[in-house]
Amino acid sequence: MDILNIDYEKYKLKNGLEVILYKDNSIPLVAANIWYKVGSANESKGKTGIAHLFEHMMFQGSANVPKEMHFRYIQEAGGSLNGSTSFDRTNYFEKVPSNFLELILWLESDRMGSFIPALTQEKLDNQQNVVSNERLERYDNQPYGLAWELIISNLYPEGHPYSWSTIGSLEDISSYTLEDVSSFFKTYYSPSNAVLVVAGDFETARTKELVEKYFSGIESNGNANSLQAIPPQLKDNIYIIHEDNVQLERIYLSWHSDKAYGDDDASLDILSDILTGSKSSRLYKNLVFEKEVAQDVSAFQFSGRLGGFFTITATAKPGVKLDSLKSEILKELKAIKNDGVSEKELLKSKNGIKSNFIYSLQNLDSLADQINSYNFFLKEPNSFNFDLKRYEEVDNDKIKSATKYFSVPYVELQIIPKNDNENKEGK
Amino acid sequence: MKSVDHSIKPQPSDEVKFSLPKIDKFNLENGMEVYFIQKDKLPILQLNLLVNGGSSFDPEGKKGLSNLFSMVIDEGAGKYDSLQLSDEFDSLGTHFSISSSEDNLYFSLQTLKENFDKSLELFSTVILQPHLDEKDFLREQRKMITRILQQQDEPDEIADIVFQFRLFDKVNPYAFPVVGYEGTVKNISIDDIRKFRADYLHPNNSTLIVVGDISKEELQSKLNLYFINWKPENVSNIFAFPYTTQHRKIFLVDKKNTVQSEIRIGHLASKRNEEDYYSKLILNTILGGQFTSRINLNLRERKGYTYGAHSRFNYFKESSYFYVSTSVGLENTANALQEIFNELNGIQKGVTSEELGFAKSSIIRKFPSNFETNKQIASNLIGMVIHSLPEDYFNNYIEEINSLEIDDINNAAKKYVQPEKTVTVIVGDKSKLLEQFKSFDGEIVEADINGELKNKVTK
Repeated sequence: MDILNIDYEKYKLKNGLEVILYKDNSIPLVAANIWYKVGSANESKGKTGIAHLFEHMMFQGSANVPKEMHFRYIQEAGGSLNGSTSFDRTNYFEKVPSNFLELILWLESDRMGSFIPALTQEKLDNQQNVVSNERLERYDNQPYGLAWELIISNLYPEGHPYSWSTIGSLEDISSYTLEDVSSFFKTYYSPSNAVLVVAGDFETARTKELVEKYFSGIESNGNANSLQAIPPQLKDNIYIIHEDNVQLERIYLSWHSDKAYGDDDASLDILSDILTGSKSSRLYKNLVFEKEVAQDVSAFQFSGRLGGFFTITATAKPGVKLDSLKSEILKELKAIKNDGVSEKELLKSKNGIKSNFIYSLQNLDSLADQINSYNFFLKEPNSFNFDLKRYEEVDNDKIKSATKYFSVPYVELQIIPKNDNENKEGK
Repeated sequence: MKSVDHSIKPQPSDEVKFSLPKIDKFNLENGMEVYFIQKDKLPILQLNLLVNGGSSFDPEGKKGLSNLFSMVIDEGAGKYDSLQLSDEFDSLGTHFSISSSEDNLYFSLQTLKENFDKSLELFSTVILQPHLDEKDFLREQRKMITRILQQQDEPDEIADIVFQFRLFDKVNPYAFPVVGYEGTVKNISIDDIRKFRADYLHPNNSTLIVVGDISKEELQSKLNLYFINWKPENVSNIFAFPYTTQHRKIFLVDKKNTVQSEIRIGHLASKRNEEDYYSKLILNTILGGQFTSRINLNLRERKGYTYGAHSRFNYFKESSYFYVSTSVGLENTANALQEIFNELNGIQKGVTSEELGFAKSSIIRKFPSNFETNKQIASNLIGMVIHSLPEDYFNNYIEEINSLEIDDINNAAKKYVQPEKTVTVIVGDKSKLLEQFKSFDGEIVEADINGELKNKVTK
């Protein structure tokens, strides 16, 4: 499709920083989006959460930007900003009225080039507290909030880069010293390990000048070693039962699957949609709509650079046994393995995916981030049509072939209510 | 390589030119008002139907009716049963959803231009020929009852519910959660659902908002075609919205095994379309509306008590409230409360001209980005409709902000931030909290997860 075929320009500065320019003058906004090729996968056991804590430190100012001013300068310009950390990468992004482009390039370059002079113990102490509270709020104080960590730490062998969560443990978060933070910066925050996307309303020649002006003087620290991981395999099923502050029991089934953009990645996305993506999807219809044994059911294919896994989650209605949900889920997977899916199911999923591609083009931030993502995984920023084609080419044979991932051992996690009467108020 | 002086903060280039999209307003043949903005960058359309029929319309003893209605109305319509109907929308790649808030029922439709006709036809079928079968109703009712049970797991949801319940003091339609209670949802029958439709789902009680790639003429003729059989009916919706005066009070909801406290602090405020809206907007931008506002910088960036702390004026059609919201480590609950009150007291002493300049700049320069996606644009129009704002509201927005002076903001701070009238709700593990409140000023009352009072806490 023409609207998915984007026109861009990509080049590299002498220090290795890759730059991608994508122009869209329809609204007077401009976005910058930087991916650093470092995430929690680059950490090690006992030293978890530093990539994410570091992301927080990047908002604490740099040589020419006092504490609190990074946020303030952008908000004063009417802009928005944030960052995020995943297994594979850390991103930083902001969107401002287009006359403030120089401001955000200056801010991004100042922290890329002069982060260390502004680093203080006080800032680190503060952000260790903030991140600990983030962990409490988003994991420990959330119902079922520890599920993700329990799954990955059992699915992946000890020491595997995906075996710990991005947020890290409270103990590790509070253990870091200024030296840890500096050394993390020196190892991973080199321009040669980063890609800058500028998207929106700008003038190309002027933007290239500004990028050159602010970023070309930053020295490269060379290239960080690229992570490799052997595809993990489970010898036997792993069963975990975890007690939590919840009213209803929930089951999670996780299998190792394909990595991002692997041969079966798109098929598994479509399969997850056919299983649970809509009211008439197979598991939703069976468990939630007809039998009413589950309150909700969902399936999703997580895929990263080093691997992927496929998880099906179902919450039992009061009084329903998790084993009965599990047997229904496994029965459905077996039916798809034997008989495949219908043309109608495939078409419905593909139409939904196609529409979502077009809806997603409305937002400049998500567009800039997607460009960076395609460049990271595929080395080609203009991959919207390629990506859509992956889904359009999924057929019944590919779906059946993707069910091979379900014939091997898996992790089964059951989260059940704490045996604590005081927690049952109002029942 | 030539060196650049990084110490100089770059200045903006020439001010950007932003032209506000043109808002068209017209009536369908059945009388329904339509607000429309044409946006043809992408071949997509966003359509929202806003019906006066939110949870504040729920009858006594049947709280949760509007919400349950929103769950049942698309369970089959015309020649389609529930699953077929959802399949029809999904096959078009159209997003269709219905939800309920305090004031309104919202129908939302996002579709590709090429599927607009088919989507609109399906949508009109839901409005005109919903099945409202008892079997579907009972299933959705059971789902909702289980969902209410699950709410007990969510400290943040409990905090919101209890706060609104205590703030509106049980007497006001806004006191009750949109989803209702287990007992009241069980009390609803399919006849109530059918009556709700007959009472409220009428074109003269609704507004349609459309944003996207279509001409006004084409849109008009299509809407008239599909909604020709939707006729106006009498609607009677007169409710009282009584208020009680509050005095500073703390409600504690005990939630065992939590590792954080959820905190809400606030009081009633004036309506969205009453005077001083822009002063309150600037005031809150300085106090707690942004990352760099006073409250967040203090509680997060200086004290490290929380991942985030914010304040806002929350506007309903008939009322509003001001509140601060955060979650903090249990051990810092009283400290955080103290800091929040320090900020509420502190803002009464006035803001600085730097703060005013910053807030004005931020709000004015952010204006164009409120018109980026179709959903954002629709949401702006929805606000305009709910609060009966003047048609030139967006045209005058920047001028209104620019015209305010420091005295306006300082007066607003004294008038609209009232620490002595605050209702405070804390949801957390009581056994780890009581010790902290021994020396705390103010009455502490224990409440259950719905906000009903248990007993006074002996400190």
